[in-house]
Amino acid sequence: MKTNTCSVSFSINGEKKTFATRPDEKLLDLLRREGYKGTKYGCGQGTCGACTVIMDGRAVYACLLYAMQAEGRKVRTIESMGTYDKPAPIQQELVAAGAVQCGYCIPGIIMSATALMETEKDISDEVAKEYMDGNLCRCTGYEKIWVALRRTLDRAAAEPKKKASKGGKK
Amino acid sequence: MPEIIVKPASLKELWKTLPALGKARRYLAGGTDIVTADNAGAESSECWVDISDLPELGAIKETARALFIGSGVKISAIENSAPARRWCPALIAAIPHFASPSLRNMATLGGNAANGSPCADGVCALVAEGAFVHLAHNGKKRCLPLKDLFLGPKRTALEKDELITAFEVPKTKHFGAYLKLGPRAYFGISKAAVAVSLEMSGKTVKRASIALGSVAPVPFYAVKTSAWLAGKPLSSEVVLAAAALVMTEVSPITDSRSEADYRREMCGVLLERALKSVCR
Ligand SMILES: Cc1cc2nc3c(=O)[nH]c(=O)nc-3n(C[C@H](O)[C@H](O)[C@H](O)COP(=O)(O)OP(=O)(O)OC[C@H]3O[C@@H](n4cnc5c(N)ncnc54)[C@H](O)[C@@H]3O)c2cc1C
Ligand code: FES
Ligand code: FES
Repeated sequence: MKTNTCSVSFSINGEKKTFATRPDEKLLDLLRREGYKGTKYGCGQGTCGACTVIMDGRAVYACLLYAMQAEGRKVRTIESMGTYDKPAPIQQELVAAGAVQCGYCIPGIIMSATALMETEKDISDEVAKEYMDGNLCRCTGYEKIWVALRRTLDRAAAEPKKKASKGGKK
Repeated sequence: MPEIIVKPASLKELWKTLPALGKARRYLAGGTDIVTADNAGAESSECWVDISDLPELGAIKETARALFIGSGVKISAIENSAPARRWCPALIAAIPHFASPSLRNMATLGGNAANGSPCADGVCALVAEGAFVHLAHNGKKRCLPLKDLFLGPKRTALEKDELITAFEVPKTKHFGAYLKLGPRAYFGISKAAVAVSLEMSGKTVKRASIALGSVAPVPFYAVKTSAWLAGKPLSSEVVLAAAALVMTEVSPITDSRSEADYRREMCGVLLERALKSVCR
């Protein structure tokens, strides 16, 4: 049992780390304070998705989690994705489609898309759009983001590691 | 804002710990209701008791007669549970209407019920499923029909420190539907919602159970309409008459989300559509 602990240990982008924290600190604030600034604050209300990170394989909102709740978990942020020189496929496609305007929503969009790709198989348009439900973008009108995501999914599906199941329906 | 967060490892430890804690304490499950309140500066309790990993609350179990959904099971885990899909069709139909996938990875049914909101989608569906709620407080346990947990807007029969442990849904073969009218197709608080659970014998209704969200001070069980439907064939006339009857039963208000008259009208429309979806 833990009472008033001021430190929390979890795996962040594959590295196990221990951080000093306070009971009232949100995971989002800890991450940003520790330099993981790709994760954004938008609303603090679970509505916009700018703060989306992946915790134990699932997309969650870091603005609604206390840092201490990450104890022992695996947290992934946008910093675990591609770099400027070596972008991940979703990042390449977002740029190619001109889907990034101000860019504030994009880290969250990428984390939700990553959770989608790592959780689902044979991803239909419907399932993909549902996964993106919790991410708002004020700038783009979504069409280009959608085009980029669909292209990324199609690219992944066309890759050589052909699995047993096929067909677009889920 | 919490000054302290305690995280007991078991129920036993929880009951041992509680008396020593500050008076202003709250349970923290998925946090999607209370942490949003905290972020908005509207939450004053100093001591939060993190129950999100309590093993006793985290499982879906099946017995010969019922399905038990732990109060701490994440909504997304219910969506993926085969027994829940089999025995709780109305609840499963409600899940796509429940916030967003990321929120569903965090939120729980225990929080949905304890929060006491009349627009809680999971709760409204469970009321239609005829669910019971299991409560525990120290050594004391009790169980009541879920519909009786709600006393008014944000008011429940939960006593101080009383914990929702599980929801029990009787295993009966039935059809289920959930329809929600919100500000947009997905992701928003409902203006009105209807949950339907129907046991059929051929084309005749054996048992109907109808619950509505956002149209009464509590998640509303439509006693009259449910009883009226029993024994009737599910013809278009019967469907229309049920829709007319349910409009007399609800007591919606006008608020920032919608208007009373519109809500009442929509209860009829949603019930009609939900019943028709079962006829098909
Ligand atoms: C952006 C957004 C969208 C949303 N959309 C929807 C929606 O579409 N439909 C819907 O129904 N809800 C919606 N909600 C509300 C919320 O997600 C749900 O009510 C959720 O089920 C709450 O569960 P939780 O585990 O997060 O509760 P918490 O926030 O952890 O707790 C809520 C309350 O319940 C108490 N509590 C929690 N667990 C227990 C327990 N086991 N025993 C006793 N008391 C307990 C807590 O002390 C607290 O008072 C939304 C919320 C947000 C932020
Ligand atoms: S900042 Fe977390 S959802 Fe908007
Ligand atoms: S690009 Fe500006 S919010 Fe999405």
